[in-house]
Order: sequence, then structure tokens, then C-alpha cells
Amino acid sequence: MSVSSELLITLPAGVPLHARPAGSFVKAALGFKSRITVSHGEKEADAKSILAVLALGADSGSEIRVRAEGEDAAAAVEAMRSWSDSLQ
Amino acid sequence: MLPEVVGIVLVSHSVELARGLAQLAGQVAGGEARVVPAGGLGDLLGTSSEVVEAAIAEADQGDGVVILADLGSSILTIRGILDHQPNGHIRLADAPLVEGAVAAAVTAAAGLTLEEVVVAAEETRGVSKF
Repeated sequence: MSVSSELLITLPAGVPLHARPAGSFVKAALGFKSRITVSHGEKEADAKSILAVLALGADSGSEIRVRAEGEDAAAAVEAMRSWSDSLQ
Repeated sequence: MLPEVVGIVLVSHSVELARGLAQLAGQVAGGEARVVPAGGLGDLLGTSSEVVEAAIAEADQGDGVVILADLGSSILTIRGILDHQPNGHIRLADAPLVEGAVAAAVTAAAGLTLEEVVVAAEETRGVSKF
């Protein structure tokens, strides 16, 4: 069964989606079979590709939207929520 | 104790280039990553089979090693080593060095397989920077 699930994350002050946070974001996404995308403004990236995520240029304080599609989409979004909680 | 991951070896003619890139890729990928620089020929620009072989041994935890290289003769140095390692456990990725190293390190640190790490590195050829 294919489901989709979505999550909005506001990046905390001082935590852009660069370098180490981008790495931990992608590592979290790589644990799932679902197709996971992350968008920032007009740009959308494959959440499992570190270079695509870095190219989003999502700065601290900005909002990103994570969308998962696939059998483990709900769990994937939960994992991305945990990732976001870990940034606080 | 850290989990076993695919090791990454970065071969460059320059000690500083290999070392700096290992630092960058290691920082993006986090603590699980095992990224080992293999740059230089003694104090000179160049590549050394001994240095690369030692880096492979250091990076190898049993799940395989992916090597990325800068240019020209570094590829020849690596090929010379891989000719004696026919089991496919050590792989040379055909990828841009900086992008490939970061992608390989993150993918390896996430616990993915040798083949998946090679693909992630090689896929960076077509990715735009912005």
C-alpha cells in the first residue's frame, strides 16, 4: 500500500540545512524505502541526496516541507520529526 | 562501539587536499563515517601505492571500501593496487572528488551497502551546485 505523509519544519535559529545538519537529515531519510522529498521555497530536492539537499540553501529560521510517499511514509515522516526535534 | 560501515579512501596528489576533504566529508557525514585521506608522495605532489594501501587497510572494517581520486596518475596508482584485489571488495568510484566524497561519506555513514555507496558517489556527476 502506498501512502503519503507530510511535515513542515521550521529550522531553528543557528541551524541551517548545511553541513552536519544536512548530513544527519539525509542519513535519517536513507533509512526508509519511501520516496522522500524536501522543499524550500520553489526548490525541491531528493531528501536522500546530500548534494541536492545542500543545494536547497535552506537557511536557519526558514521553513522546509518534507514529503514521503511509499509503504513506510508515516514512519519516515516520524523519523524526520525526530530529526527536527533533535535540532532544538 | 561504532557500527561497521563502508570505508572511504580519498586519493589526491596533494596531502592537504586529501586531508581537508576527509575532514569536510567526515563532518557532514558525522561520527559513524570512516573517511581516510591518502594524499601525496612523501613531501611532493603525487600518489603513492604504499600510502593508498595503508589507507585502504585503515578504512576497511569488513564491509568494503570505496576509493575516490583526483586526476590522472592517481587512477593508475589505484588500478595497480586493485589488480591484486580481484574480489570487488575495494571499488574505485568514477565521480567528482569533492561531491563524490561527501555523498559517499553520508551514504556509508547511514549504513548502506558498498554498491549503494558507489552509486551515490557516481550519481553526483550530474548534480548542480545550486
